[in-house]
Amino acid sequence: MKITIENNEAKFLFRIADTSLILAQRMAELCSNAPFLEEDIAISNCSLDLFGRAEELYKIIATIEGNKFTPDDYVFRRNEREFFNIKLVEQPNEDFAWTITRQFMHDVWAKEVFTQLSSSKNEELVGLCSKVLKEIEYSLLHSRDWMYRLGLGTEESNKRTQDAIDHLLKYVEEIFNFDDLDKEYFSDCANIERVWQEEINRVFSEINIERKEIQPLSMRDFRDGFHSEHIGHLLSIMQYLPRAYPDAKWS
Amino acid sequence: MDKFEQAFNQIIEDDLKVEPRDWMPEKYRQTNIRQISQHAHSEIIGMQPEGNWLLRAPSLRSKQVLLAKIQDEAGHGLYLYSVAETLGISRQEMNEQLHNQTAKYSSIFNYPTVTWADMGAVGWLVDGAAIVNQVSLQRTSYGPYARAMVRICKEESFHQRQGYEIMCQMAFGTAAQKEMAQDALNRFWEPALMMFGPHDADSVHKGQSMAWKIKRESNDHLRQRFIDRTVPQAEYLGLTIPDKGLKFNEETGHYETSPFNWDEFWNVVNGNGPCNQERLDHHKKAHNDNRWVREAAEAYAEKTEAQVA
Amino acid sequence: MEKGDKVWEVFVQKKSGLPFKHVGSVRAYDKKMAIQNARDLYTRRSEGRALWVVPVEAIVSVPLDNADAFFDPADDKAYRHATFYVTPEGVNHL
Ligand SMILES: [Fe+2]
Ligand SMILES: [Fe+2]
Ligand SMILES: [Fe+2]
Repeated sequence: MKITIENNEAKFLFRIADTSLILAQRMAELCSNAPFLEEDIAISNCSLDLFGRAEELYKIIATIEGNKFTPDDYVFRRNEREFFNIKLVEQPNEDFAWTITRQFMHDVWAKEVFTQLSSSKNEELVGLCSKVLKEIEYSLLHSRDWMYRLGLGTEESNKRTQDAIDHLLKYVEEIFNFDDLDKEYFSDCANIERVWQEEINRVFSEINIERKEIQPLSMRDFRDGFHSEHIGHLLSIMQYLPRAYPDAKWS
Repeated sequence: MDKFEQAFNQIIEDDLKVEPRDWMPEKYRQTNIRQISQHAHSEIIGMQPEGNWLLRAPSLRSKQVLLAKIQDEAGHGLYLYSVAETLGISRQEMNEQLHNQTAKYSSIFNYPTVTWADMGAVGWLVDGAAIVNQVSLQRTSYGPYARAMVRICKEESFHQRQGYEIMCQMAFGTAAQKEMAQDALNRFWEPALMMFGPHDADSVHKGQSMAWKIKRESNDHLRQRFIDRTVPQAEYLGLTIPDKGLKFNEETGHYETSPFNWDEFWNVVNGNGPCNQERLDHHKKAHNDNRWVREAAEAYAEKTEAQVA
Repeated sequence: MEKGDKVWEVFVQKKSGLPFKHVGSVRAYDKKMAIQNARDLYTRRSEGRALWVVPVEAIVSVPLDNADAFFDPADDKAYRHATFYVTPEGVNHL
């Protein structure tokens, strides 16, 4: 099965949908591995929100594309280069500081993204946005609170958080290299970056974290389906069953 | 007998509930702590065999359903830990007992989940067996435990269904899927039946637990109820129960099974199951690798909460 | 959890106008975490629209030894209940 994308709006929405999906899968890795049980449940909840969000976005994409494919086709039948998530979210859970930092950086971005999409011309998308914005508001509460605990907790937690941030910041630059498609469907691209930088800098300065200068990296853009090496492993696990039993049905 | 003991006996006799601040015999307290913490640990360790397939669930729907289910199990563990805490044991102590193996958990979770069909079999058979037991425990005499069971049973109602749904899909799917489903049933059938514990004749704690109404129905009684419900469900799936001696007794109206392999049961209970070591190591690793996170949360709370409180 | 965390009792209000009901407890290191943990443990199935968490040590209860002294004196005051009074036949809305 070769998955094709015809419409620009679908092409654009894959970026958001894939980002939700890949982050959801990453968060699910913490199930039974979180620092304590209450947090296990909290992370699972974020993961469930993200899977649900991805599924709804794939449904909207499927509608735009004339229902040639189902959301499950999009998730389980595409290859590495056919995914368009931001690289930030495919980065692994090295430790809890990575998990939380990645989440926080994503949530701040996602909040402005879905705020802008809520004035889209696509009514289905607008409907989804009002639900999604509530989820993000909550997730942000959770990830931001943890940034404070980790940044200001102990020397070790501060150092681990600083390390995670230093690594993950490498994957931020590309997020704001907006292309024509972004400019067509976001109402104010520049504001996505402005809001993000402001909030990140504000929180970092309050939690005793230094924002180090990141040299521009030679990294190809996620918008063209480029990834870090991590994506292949993530997909090979996620897609194993439908790939191994192509004629079987799963619901 | 003093007035407190009399009051306790009266509560049991009248089928009322014992509450945390009531006087209770030390043995009653200890028996409850043992049973409730074992139950809590089972919910938590039980997250692992299902978590094993979470990242490989074959559809968006099944992935969300499975994650929600595992999340429920974590919640059940939490309800039960807090019930045990009302009896004077701390969560930390219970965790230590789990790690140093003085506390047990249900042996069923020491079996590996090797194919996706095992997610079906676990939900259908393991949650199914757990539900039969837990419904009975809604009438247990310790109030907080009974109330936790009511809440848990409400949440469990979807667990068995999601398992059976997977079994249906596979049993009625391709030949390869059906084969996987049968294989999963073959491996989980007898271990699921042994979840109810030893036969009544061999059960050590039975007498006092029944008298104190901690346990309301005997192991064999509950097991029989489960078998009678489950055999027709397997028939609907077109799958074969892996017991050549299984037969329906017209007179009693119950199914009869061949004798179980209790040697295997006790061997697994005593730590030699296929996954005992892995389950424990997994739990310890998550706990130990994240100690710094808990320390950070503690340190942060010390700095910030003090100002307000 | 091991040390530094506290137990918080959780109260959920199902709908506005209904009383808050005790549903159980959670562990957490700080207030914000307590209310979030309570939300995730007790309202995943839309069981509530408002939540309280209270540190367990803030709850005062009647000591076991004094229970009789606290509650028995109320047993012989039936005049506090409406059923204590006889209403004349034919008189309504009382
Ligand atoms: Fe459970
Ligand atoms: Fe369950
Ligand atoms: Fe279970």
